[in-house]
Parts: sequence; structure tokens; C-alpha cells
Amino acid sequence: MNEDKFVQVGIRPPAEMRTAVPVKRRKDFPVVAAGVLAVIVLGCLFCGAVMTKDPAYMDLVNYSRPPDREFLFGTDTMGRDIFSMIWYGGRVSLLIGFLSTAVSTVIAVVFGSLSGMAPAWLDAVLMRAAEIILSIPNLLLVILIQAALGDANIWSISLVTGVTGWTSIAKVVRTEVRQMRESEYVVASRCMGGGFFHILWKHLTPNFISSIMFMAVMNVRTAIVSESTLSFIGIGLPLEIISWGSMLSLSEKALLSNAWWIILAPGAFLVVTLLCITDIGSFLRKNRKQSNL
Amino acid sequence: MADDILLSVRHLTHCFRLSKRQVLRAVDGISFDVQRGEIFGLVGESGSGKSTVARCVMNILRPTQGEILFNGVNVCDAAQRRANKKMLQTQRQIIFQDSASSLNPRMTAAEIIAEPMQINHITTPRGSCRAEAEFQLHYVGMDASYLDKYPPELSGGMRQRVAIARALSMEPELLVADEPIASLDVSIQAQIINLFKHLQEEHGFTFLFIAHDLAVVRYLCDRAAVLYHGKIVELAPTAELFSNPCHPYTKALLSAIPIPDPRKERARPLVKFDGKGLRGEGRLEEVSAGHLVWKEAET
Repeated sequence: MNEDKFVQVGIRPPAEMRTAVPVKRRKDFPVVAAGVLAVIVLGCLFCGAVMTKDPAYMDLVNYSRPPDREFLFGTDTMGRDIFSMIWYGGRVSLLIGFLSTAVSTVIAVVFGSLSGMAPAWLDAVLMRAAEIILSIPNLLLVILIQAALGDANIWSISLVTGVTGWTSIAKVVRTEVRQMRESEYVVASRCMGGGFFHILWKHLTPNFISSIMFMAVMNVRTAIVSESTLSFIGIGLPLEIISWGSMLSLSEKALLSNAWWIILAPGAFLVVTLLCITDIGSFLRKNRKQSNL
Repeated sequence: MADDILLSVRHLTHCFRLSKRQVLRAVDGISFDVQRGEIFGLVGESGSGKSTVARCVMNILRPTQGEILFNGVNVCDAAQRRANKKMLQTQRQIIFQDSASSLNPRMTAAEIIAEPMQINHITTPRGSCRAEAEFQLHYVGMDASYLDKYPPELSGGMRQRVAIARALSMEPELLVADEPIASLDVSIQAQIINLFKHLQEEHGFTFLFIAHDLAVVRYLCDRAAVLYHGKIVELAPTAELFSNPCHPYTKALLSAIPIPDPRKERARPLVKFDGKGLRGEGRLEEVSAGHLVWKEAET
């Protein structure tokens, strides 16, 4: 109590100061998620080395076999080896995920920047249009466009999920561009004669890329899910193109015949992949707040 | 004589719409000519419309009224602007006040300096864009080690030099400097001012220099105009302006320059200006050769 008189005001006790450890930027990097995702992606890319059977071969003797030493995850109702199908089909699922993300990100960046750079009335028109698209249930829109395009294949599914999934990214891009467009380096670039795409590529994209990274990564997930959904309800990839979605489309029949492995194996892979992507995505979002220049 | 005029501003008016009813006349019918190869200063307090003039000259803002002739091209006219697009983009350059925001934080100095050359597809006289950027950096007094630095890694003075190098890389005829030294500290200000003076002597470009620091204008400019509430109240050669100020506002402004001697400083009278005689109509009248002073119209 007596010593309180000698405590100087404004000087922090050393114990308190020590707690201010500099925050490491890569502190919470999800090592496990990145590792598991890397294993899955590499396994799918080099599926030839991993597969034990031909994934498309229908072994009519061994259909609906539960997992054993020969068929690691069992076989499906048509006698295909599920372990091989998972690696082989993962290619298609991941390809669809990345392709559709690329499509939707490109549309979102161009549309959002256009809206952000436009005068107020055009900005309002474009954003209301985006909101109208956003307000239609995504699945409904996907089914509609897919039906209009006709038979589904990898490219059409990527396109459809990409074309329907850009609106929320576009809104973020637009907000960021609105803030940036008054900054003097954009004005200076326009004085020098820089066109829209020059400014977009050189000045705007590097500055907003970190804020849409999270959403773009999440779009990979959404695309894989919607491919599976479409396949499950029967308007996605046909059965002969192996993907996680088309494997899951067999699951309703499998449920009736008590073959749990047909559902569980591709389902587990799908869920694990999505969890890993989500984990990395949320890391990117958290990291962005610290890394602002 | 008419050939010597590079930039001619005629009855320029710019209004900002603050709300539906309120309109702010930032620039109110000002006219001046800038001759080829001179440094023309625009002085005035904050909010007197200096930057608005610069932004109108650069086509960043569209003037409400009046015209701006650059090299005989009316830059306010869309058709003429389009016809002379390339000339306008290369021959006028601007340097902004805040170098922190006028340089993209995610580009290196070399990329920033090379940007105008890449936009206008100019064949670089020194081989690559990087060599050109290095040359321009040397020109403004920095060495090649700064080529790969990002603006946040540079000091304020360095950043402003990079911005100057970017403007100079096009070898423009007209350089508009919108308070280029206001955000720097005093010793750096002196460096940058000397750099401007040196570059101007060597390069011979025309300079529209905007400042609120009278000492700088006196040192650097050939002619200067004093702006008050969007009007030019006095326009004269710098020496004449400082030795023989005619308008009460100019007198008040000049009396505010501190004298670096405490005894004299304390004894110095401070002239106050109440804004009288600037509310209504009026025009500039010539007092002596090239010395124009605002005269209120008799009502």
C-alpha cells in the first residue's frame, strides 16, 4: 500500500509490456487442412499411381461388395471399384470447382469494377441487376440454365455454376473499387491515358484481390457442392462420367440395399475436402485483416 | 506573342453541387495565360480554388463554364480532346500533393515511372522501360537501388521524387504541380524546390505551380496570381507582386510572412483583410505593365 506512492504514472510495469508479443502473420496457418487437401489434390492428379483397379471397369461378378482387402472401399451396384473411382472422380469434381471459380471470379471482377467506376446512375442499375440475380434461389437458376443448355458435361456444369455464383463477389469488388477510384494514383493513371482494363489490372486488382480471396476459395466449395447436388437429383453429370457427385447419385439406391460404403466413401471425401477448403478460406479472411498495408 | 502562350484559361468557372439547393462556386470566372517556358504560380488560402483550377486544366473535373486552351486545343471540348488525345496525355502531366496516395502502394518505383510509357506505347530511347526508369530516377537525384522499392518503403521526399520522375518520363510541355511540397517537411521542401528549379532550367518546360507558401512562390515563380474565393485578385510578375502589392488581400497575405528576427517580427504590423470589395461583380484592371488588380464594379 505504501509503495503505491512511488509507482510512476504513465509507465507500464514490465510484466504488462511483455504481453505485447508481435503478432506473427502466418500464426494460425491451417497446416492439417492444407496437408490433407494437398494429399487429396495430388492423389487425384496422379490417380494412375494410386488406383488399384480400372475405375470404369464393371466387374459383374463382384458387384455391391463391402470393403475388403481387394476392394478397399468396396464396389458399387455396377461392380466398379470405389477406391479407384474416388481418385479418378476427384479430378472431375476439383476441375469443376476451379473452373467455375475462375469463370465466376472473372465475371465478378469485371462487373464489379465496371459498376464501381461507373457514374452513380449506371452503378445503381448494375447493382440492382446483380441483386435481382442474387435474390433468385441459386439452385433454381442453375437448373434453369442447365436445362436450357441441354446435356450436361464438365464444361457446361462449370459454366453454369460459374455464371450463377458471381454476384456476391461482384458486390465486394464494387465496394472496394468505389473507395479506390478517388485515390490519386487512379486519377493520375487516367490523366496519363490509362484505359479501363489497364487501371483494372494494374491498380485495382492488386488492391482488392485479398478481400475477394476468401470468397473465391469458398466458391470452389460451392461449385463442388452444386455439382454433387445436380448429379444427385439427376440432371448433373451422367453416370458414366465418374465424379464424386455422380457417385453420390447412386446413393439413394444404395440406401435401400443397405450398402453403406457406396454413400460413405465419396461422401466422406467430399466433406473432408470441403472442410479443408473452408478452413483455408477462413484463414485467408482472418489474415487479410492483419496484412492491410 | 500569341505563339508563346501554352496554356490559356478563359473565364473558367467551376461549381460543386453540395446538395440540391446549395452550389459552391469554387472557381469564379478566372482568366490567365501561361507563357511557354515560364513558372506560373497560383497562390491562395485553403479553399480558394487553386486545386480546382489544376484539376480542370488536367480534365479531371469538367468546368461549369469557360474554356481552357492548351497548345491551341480547347481541352473542355470533347471532340477536340479526342482528336488530340495522345498529345494531351503526353504533354500535360500532374504532380499531386500527397505522394502517399498518388503512388500505388503495390507497384515498385520502376513500374510506377514506366507506367505512362507503357500506356502510351512509347518506344523508350534508352532500351528497356527499366533503363528508362533508372535514368529518370537519376535525373531526380535517386540511384538505381530504389528501383525495386515499394512506395511505403520510401520516405515522403523520395516518394515525391518518384512522382516527379513519373511526370517527367513523358517529357511534357506543361507540368501541373498541385501543392507538391505541402506534405513534406521544410528541409525536404527546399530539396524538392531546388530540384524543380534545376529541372526547369535544364528542361525548359512550362510549370503551373500551386502553393500556399509565399516564400516558395517568390523563389520559384516568374509570375504569380493570387486567388481569393475563386477569383484572381492580383496577377503580376513575382518581383512586382512582392515589392508592390496593390490589392488589400495580397497586402494582408504578404504581411503574414514571418520575418526571421524576433524583434522585427514583434514590431511588424499584421494587415487584416475583411473580404470587402469581393462580393459582387468586378474585373481585373492593369495597374502597370503585366500587373493586374481586381477592381470592384461601382454600384
